[in-house]
Amino acid sequence: MDCKHIRNFSIIAHIDHGKSTLADRLLERTGTVEKRQLKEQMLDDMELERQRGITIKARAVRMEYRHAGEVYELNLIDTPGHVDFHYEVSRSLACCEGAVLLVDAFQGVEAQTVANAYAAINLDLAIVPVINKVDLVHARVDDVLLEMEQSLAIDSAEVIKASAKTGVGIDDLLAAIIERIPPPKGDPHAILRALIFDSHYDSYRGAITYVRVIDGTITKGQKIRFLETSTTHDVLELGQFVPQRRACETLSAGQVGYLVCNIKDVKQVHIGDTVTIPGDQAAAPMPGYKPPQRMVYCGLYPSEGENFEELRDALEKLVINDPSFEYAPESSEALGFGFRCGFLGLLHMEIIQQRLEKEADLDLVQTAPNVTYRIKKTTGETIEITNPQDVPDTGQIDEFLQPIVRTNFLVPVEQIGPVMQLCTDRRGVYLKTEYLSPTRAMLTFDLPLAEVIYDLHDRLKSVTRGYGTMDYELIGYFPADLVRLDILVGGKPVDALSIICDRRDADRRGRAIVKKLRGEIDRHMFEIALQAAIGTKVIARETISAMRKNVTAKCYGGDISRKKKLWAKQKEGKKRMKSIGSVDIPQKAFMAVLDTGTDRQ
Amino acid sequence: MGQPRHAYVHVPFCRHRCGYCDFTLVAGRDDLIDRYYAALGRELERVSPEPPATAGSPGLELDTLYLGGGTPSHLGPAGLRRLFGLLHERLHPVAGAEVTVEANPLDVTADFLAAAADCGVTRVSLGGQSLDAMTLRALDRDHAPDDVRRAAGLLLADGFSVSVDLMTAAPGQSLAAVEKDLDAVVGLGPQHVSVYCLTWEKGTSFESQRRKGLLQPAEESLERQMYETAIDRLGTGGYEHYEVSNFAKPGARCRHNEAYWDCRPWEAFGPGAARFDGRTRITNHRATTTWMNKVLVGDDFSGDVDAMTAEDAARERVVVGLRRRDGLDREAFMDASGFTLDALAGNAIASWTDRGLATDDGRRVRLTHAGLLVSDALWADILK
Repeated sequence: MDCKHIRNFSIIAHIDHGKSTLADRLLERTGTVEKRQLKEQMLDDMELERQRGITIKARAVRMEYRHAGEVYELNLIDTPGHVDFHYEVSRSLACCEGAVLLVDAFQGVEAQTVANAYAAINLDLAIVPVINKVDLVHARVDDVLLEMEQSLAIDSAEVIKASAKTGVGIDDLLAAIIERIPPPKGDPHAILRALIFDSHYDSYRGAITYVRVIDGTITKGQKIRFLETSTTHDVLELGQFVPQRRACETLSAGQVGYLVCNIKDVKQVHIGDTVTIPGDQAAAPMPGYKPPQRMVYCGLYPSEGENFEELRDALEKLVINDPSFEYAPESSEALGFGFRCGFLGLLHMEIIQQRLEKEADLDLVQTAPNVTYRIKKTTGETIEITNPQDVPDTGQIDEFLQPIVRTNFLVPVEQIGPVMQLCTDRRGVYLKTEYLSPTRAMLTFDLPLAEVIYDLHDRLKSVTRGYGTMDYELIGYFPADLVRLDILVGGKPVDALSIICDRRDADRRGRAIVKKLRGEIDRHMFEIALQAAIGTKVIARETISAMRKNVTAKCYGGDISRKKKLWAKQKEGKKRMKSIGSVDIPQKAFMAVLDTGTDRQ
Repeated sequence: MGQPRHAYVHVPFCRHRCGYCDFTLVAGRDDLIDRYYAALGRELERVSPEPPATAGSPGLELDTLYLGGGTPSHLGPAGLRRLFGLLHERLHPVAGAEVTVEANPLDVTADFLAAAADCGVTRVSLGGQSLDAMTLRALDRDHAPDDVRRAAGLLLADGFSVSVDLMTAAPGQSLAAVEKDLDAVVGLGPQHVSVYCLTWEKGTSFESQRRKGLLQPAEESLERQMYETAIDRLGTGGYEHYEVSNFAKPGARCRHNEAYWDCRPWEAFGPGAARFDGRTRITNHRATTTWMNKVLVGDDFSGDVDAMTAEDAARERVVVGLRRRDGLDREAFMDASGFTLDALAGNAIASWTDRGLATDDGRRVRLTHAGLLVSDALWADILK
């Protein structure tokens, strides 16, 4: 296939604007998948993706479409929509020459619409704007056109009005993809240069490497070299996704497909690596991708200590298909041996945990998530802190820095006030307000990432009755007056409960945490003091009073079996706890530190 | 284990169901009583298919027989005679046996006492619950304080051994009211007193009212004060505290209940009644009509079956044994269960004694007062 007849594109949209439905419709219209084989969210094959109705991993699919008498190869590279997966979006976009920008005719322009559109514009991609769901009774097409023009300078005349559900406008869209998106440049006869944009692990074939060929041609049986890992492989099979894998003989400049090279160790496949030929003639490496940035860390511990090895195996397996998370062994006095894991965001964290529990059948204790901090020590050394336990003594700290994110909120104008309040409460620095239409505005704040990840999204949804959306990008690390807040249970510090927070918030957070813990920990036969402390200074205290009376009154002939069952239940409950000193702490309590006490008054 | 020498008979009839009660019973269904006798007669055939007279034996020899309910006294004098007529066909309380009948104070009449005496009843457990009119109303009882006084007086005068039940932590009941009840009961002078803290059981009218916020359980610290007051006042009044809820004058412990707590085998008949052979406890179907129907057509009428290994049974023995104030004697435990106490509970006992919840003199382990109060929280250490 010559480049002139190839178009590579992504669909970018805010979550829930109908991206997967549109992809399904394109597959159907191009005859890639017959209607009767079509299942919803065709490209989302992870069970979790379908369950939650979201796309987590990128996908690539080849379609054929006849336009103006000629046959074109259209490669759709699907992308996740959630802010956590920005990283995957930019990877996908780097393989494309154009992007279909999808906007819901009722919801209008939202935070990820803007974020993803800018990502595409910055990569010089041709944008094909589409308003989806125009068949909705509540569609407000004219307003949304205005919003698109205001926020992204999109010419209303270029916007295709479509309904992925009914199929309206799909032919126009396919025509626009071919007419407006440039064909890939690249020379099929030049030296091979291909970009690895994803991979997944197949237990029979080993690593399946997803590539976009930039120059040259890959042929079955040839030898190829991965530049970054400096490894050479035989191409056993290559092909395209239609949407299942379909083998072919060659992949040439401009095409998107997969390689099977009998690679058993997925660590050899680096996303963003350059594929070329072995030897002196090899092409120079391409810039590749920025490594994924883990925003959130938490500890994951097996709730039964003896399952440590199983957890390690499960993490190893998972990281193969999702290199964007990382893990390293750590140990906690309270929780024993486990792993500190880094994620792209909270949703990512939740998904990984669910997959671990589901796919590996592991019962996990998760500690509260925290962001990465940096500390400049008085020695001049700078250290990264992913675990509050690693914060050195105050005397050794010259500067304590935290990540700040620039956050855009797209909200109905009448809710600007509450959103402003929300951000100033979280120590946000106001930057600007832009009106996209008479009814919608974009607010920009710089906020500590720590404040954003915990519950800002939920709070935003609640103050805007679901209509507000947000997106953020890291702008850097800035000094702040931060402290480590320790929690003591029965006088003993519980390492897994420590957090890092702003000094000015310490009182409030401390009080909220010990109060929450009081509700989570059952009464014992003795009084339990719960304290929050900075260094040796106690700033909040709650007491769990001792159990006063707990004795079954009647235990006669017929009662014994029944009572025994009740007592046995208590025992079951006890098993799922972690004992610290002589205090049994339920797993849930380790998330208590998430309680920010944000019902602030 | 040998033949059981103890038997329980459940009489599932009441005039009215009290709001806190979740026992196996039917209220206002006296029309079922005849069927009940028939079914009970059939169930008694488990002891021996042929009437023992024909087999040339007096029946199963018993040291104790206990009629509970429900309200056995609700059967009335004639009913009681008929019931014992049935029981005596196959059960034979030996000379000196303890034969207890539970009674509602309202049912205690001269005729009833005469019938009880004729039937060999030696002990009456009186469902007094309180001697305070307000508490009785709060508990949904159908008798008045004077009925309790009168009944206790009659029973004691006729030479029955009497036990009075008292309840604490009734809705709205104050500590002072409990103190008055205790003093009043001591004044009546029964041989035995049981004090039960009200429990809120699923499916009772009290519990559904609690969920709607119409009734409020007593604070735990008040419950505790009431319980401690009971222990104090009854102790001063000459009653020995011998099990969590039970108090007796010297020599007047309930021998039947002591058999349960000694894990001796016992027989049991009637709906919801549980029997035990030393290893397995079989509870009859709890619904009165289902039990009757199944028994009468010859179907299996057992409900829950708790079949234990020797070790399970020994662990259970630790729990019920430690609920007795005498506690457990290591040697006796070993003889009865085949396990050493320390093999099953050594670590737990050591940790309890460290925390002041138990005492251990090397021979005998007892819960302290502090341990007794929170004993339910200890059993997780014992039961497997």
